[in-house]
Amino acid sequence: MDFAWSDQQRELLDAVGRFASQQLKYNVIDNDRDGVFNHDAWEKCGSFGIQGLPVPTQYGGLGMDPLTTVAALERLGYACKDNGLLFSINAHLWTAVTPLIYNGSEAQKKKYLPGLSNGMLIGGNAMSEPNSGSDAFSLSTTAIKKGSTYILNGSKIFVTNGPIADLLVVFATVDKMRGPDGITAFLVEKNSPGMNAARKLEKMGLRTSPMAEVFFENCEVPEENLLGKEGGGAFLFTRSMTWERGCILASAVGSMQRLLETCIRYANERKQGGQSIGKYQLVASKIVDMKVRVESSRHMLYHYGWLSGHRKAVYLEAAMTKLHIADCWVKCCEDAIQIHGGYGYMTEYEVERELRDAIASKLYSGTSEIQRNIVASMLGL
Amino acid sequence: MKILVPFKSVLDPNEATAAGAAVSTPKSVINPFDETIGPPAVDEQIRVALAMGVDRAIRIDEFRALDPYAVARILRAVVEKEAPHVVIMGKQAVDDDSNQVGQMLAGLLGWPQATFVSKIEFLGNKTRARCTRETDAGLEIVEVDLPAILTTDLRLNEPRYVSLPGLMRARRKPIEVLTCDQLGTSVRPLTTVLSVARPPRRSAGTRVESVEELITKLKQEAKVI
Repeated sequence: MDFAWSDQQRELLDAVGRFASQQLKYNVIDNDRDGVFNHDAWEKCGSFGIQGLPVPTQYGGLGMDPLTTVAALERLGYACKDNGLLFSINAHLWTAVTPLIYNGSEAQKKKYLPGLSNGMLIGGNAMSEPNSGSDAFSLSTTAIKKGSTYILNGSKIFVTNGPIADLLVVFATVDKMRGPDGITAFLVEKNSPGMNAARKLEKMGLRTSPMAEVFFENCEVPEENLLGKEGGGAFLFTRSMTWERGCILASAVGSMQRLLETCIRYANERKQGGQSIGKYQLVASKIVDMKVRVESSRHMLYHYGWLSGHRKAVYLEAAMTKLHIADCWVKCCEDAIQIHGGYGYMTEYEVERELRDAIASKLYSGTSEIQRNIVASMLGL
Repeated sequence: MKILVPFKSVLDPNEATAAGAAVSTPKSVINPFDETIGPPAVDEQIRVALAMGVDRAIRIDEFRALDPYAVARILRAVVEKEAPHVVIMGKQAVDDDSNQVGQMLAGLLGWPQATFVSKIEFLGNKTRARCTRETDAGLEIVEVDLPAILTTDLRLNEPRYVSLPGLMRARRKPIEVLTCDQLGTSVRPLTTVLSVARPPRRSAGTRVESVEELITKLKQEAKVI
């Protein structure tokens, strides 16, 4: 077992760190309060190569293996405090780009992947519905074939990137009676007649990542925009979710590392009772717990990346990685606020926002309860 | 358009190495004067330049201490070998601040020069360059026929950041290594550095309580008024 980076990986990871610390330093406090997505930062990430990390080189990407990709996203999360931007990038990568790489036709890949890799196009997916969340395959949006087009009807909720997406992977059933076997994925471009992504949703955290409710009313989707096979949507969704669970919290590991360093600095500087608060064991103990969480999260993340890159089954590992990092991230944020005391509760200190951003990680890509169900089922329970 | 951009590794003056880089687009200018000091290995710095868009790099393998005249002579040999349309280089290096190589190179080649340039426009189907020079008296605009030597000031451009695709491409780009012997030039320096010393420390000043006290001190102690 070799834990060392190759020279080329180190060079790439250093470049990501330099890029993020130089180009992605901006006022997140205002953007968070006002719910503003930073298009400029998205485009910078695109031209730098972030969105192209896992995309094969023949489609304009960098063709990076999963381990290098998650490590790069970790560096991004360390240097960039805009968790909403990173969440948008993750949704784009794992719910639009990955399904296209695996299930797209040659024509679809050529048409969309270069733009999705270089920051020109924004992707996302539309799966959850008001009445189907964790029970995703009970969805009720319909796709009825009529000649060479499919007619979509239904409504989708919690669509990350919905208001800004150029391309959505939309899941609908061609026959409700067929259950999961009827679920089919479609590539739907923005401004398609009959699609409305106008209703923006206000959120507790990740406020710089726009989210919408999307309605389909006799939305015509041409046959060539069928993604994968008719009825192949459930499998496609499961694979894309496995990727997402494994990778989506890579940036959270970077964020935890940053919080840890912030807390160490603060605990050394802040004096109470004649000494640095870090000298009090109750404070030091919290910081030690943070350190252990960061390290264990990083190891699970890299192990997932390594397994995935070596084409091993990662269904179980992806669920555990997601479950563990989400728990660790929220706890780190709580500890960071506690260590900062009243200041940690103030917006200006940029710690409370991390907690609001982190809490969503226990909900998206399958709630922590769903991850536990997956792990339990893989243990034969 | 073929542009030669010489740059110097400035981290460790004892290992100062002149490096020439030939590029084909005017956008790929690397301005050593406003580049921050990079990692220690020269090849690593060259890779950064290649990742920014430089097409091809030449490293002059020379570890002896070089003075500006020696560097200018090496660069003359590179220019004669590569025949660029223009040479764009920093006005001075941040280590010795000599500010001589560009001027000497122009003299050795018999080429026109424009120094301290903060803006370049290529004119007449790239046969001339209109250069805005930053001088103490203000901005001066000069036009030079090409080929020419242009030395740049800080405000010429903001170097682009290294993108990941650029980094990938840089791995496949060649770095040619040449010695002074291969270039047929000597590097015998004309100057010798005897010693390098810090300027003497200034002693701390004193605080005065009143204007009267200040005037008394200036008259009696400093004897300047």
